[in-house]
Amino acid sequence: MELSGSRDACQTTNVSASSPLLKQTHASGFKKVCRIEEESTCPFPGLPAGVLEMRVKEGSKIRNLMGFAMARMQDEPGDMGQTGLRRVVFSGSGRAVTKTITCAEIMKRKIGGLHQMTKLQYKGLREIWESQEGGDSEVTVHRTLPSISILLSKDPLDPLEPGYQPPENALWSERNGGEASQAAEKRSVDCSETPAEPQAKRVYQFGSCLLQTLAGPGSGSPANSGSARRLTAHAERAVFLSEIPAC
Amino acid sequence: MVLPTPEGSTLEMDPMEYTLRKRLPRKLPKRRNDVYVNMKTDFKAQLARCQKLLDSHREICIHGLGLAINRAINIALQLQTSSQGALQLAANTSTVELIDDLEPEDPDEAGEPLTRTRNNSAIHIKVFYPNP
Repeated sequence: MELSGSRDACQTTNVSASSPLLKQTHASGFKKVCRIEEESTCPFPGLPAGVLEMRVKEGSKIRNLMGFAMARMQDEPGDMGQTGLRRVVFSGSGRAVTKTITCAEIMKRKIGGLHQMTKLQYKGLREIWESQEGGDSEVTVHRTLPSISILLSKDPLDPLEPGYQPPENALWSERNGGEASQAAEKRSVDCSETPAEPQAKRVYQFGSCLLQTLAGPGSGSPANSGSARRLTAHAERAVFLSEIPAC
Repeated sequence: MVLPTPEGSTLEMDPMEYTLRKRLPRKLPKRRNDVYVNMKTDFKAQLARCQKLLDSHREICIHGLGLAINRAINIALQLQTSSQGALQLAANTSTVELIDDLEPEDPDEAGEPLTRTRNNSAIHIKVFYPNP
């Protein structure tokens, strides 16, 4: 918690967002957030210019964001000679992170074959609160919010960089059973013994995508215990469902 | 009960009440160094657990679904700052299907249980010491 004394006539105190003083400000009439300033740690690490940047805020409507982004990405007759826009960056912080990821997932679903790069960092935020009564003291609040930046590109990206995710078509397709069994083969040897339910296939799809993208050294060993555990997890879930009281 | 018409118009919500039950999302087979983050357990406890796993394994994987995405990112970034930059993060995103069971409130009304599917976002963050 940082508290710096006043420099000029109007008292300015700096607080960090987790301090108990912040709770006092809510109580003691610092009602309105008058100004919000964000520290600009903007540039996506190591990215060339000429990229559409979509800043997702908490109140953004996904329909509006996707309408704009899809129109720009699918706009074939470009006036620069190249076919439309090749890359787009979705960035958001704090409560907008989930919405950012959802936007990126929707775009990946609608436009296939997009390479993805995800970067996480902290974004600093400086809020200035002014007192409603008295009017001569103000409090600056420093917050650090987790923020995410997702780059979607039609051109291939560097697969060795951390945060890279290949296009989904290479790993799984939703309804295609053939690809699911092929992906499942990569994951465990004894998958052929398990009954081919559509639900089990979805687990394979999700799990194989997970293990392929992570490609950890331990991906071979849990597969054997994984298949047995999956069947019991299915049974457990059925039992669980019946025991939950109606809400 | 109003059934959807063949013209493809919207399904009308019938006057019979349904209880909503969310099915649990599919739990993946868990390796020793997989951590699933939720909003029910205390944040510091989850952070300490991740830190302890990181001491014994060279890499851990943190998963978060829906609202827990924020918490997962927070845990990963905290681990990175407390390691003084020795750790690297790699984040992958995915979509998870969640199924809700709608059951009729009144057992006398012969309503059939409906299921509704929705999509949710998930994040998987790999936290690792990079190979020299």
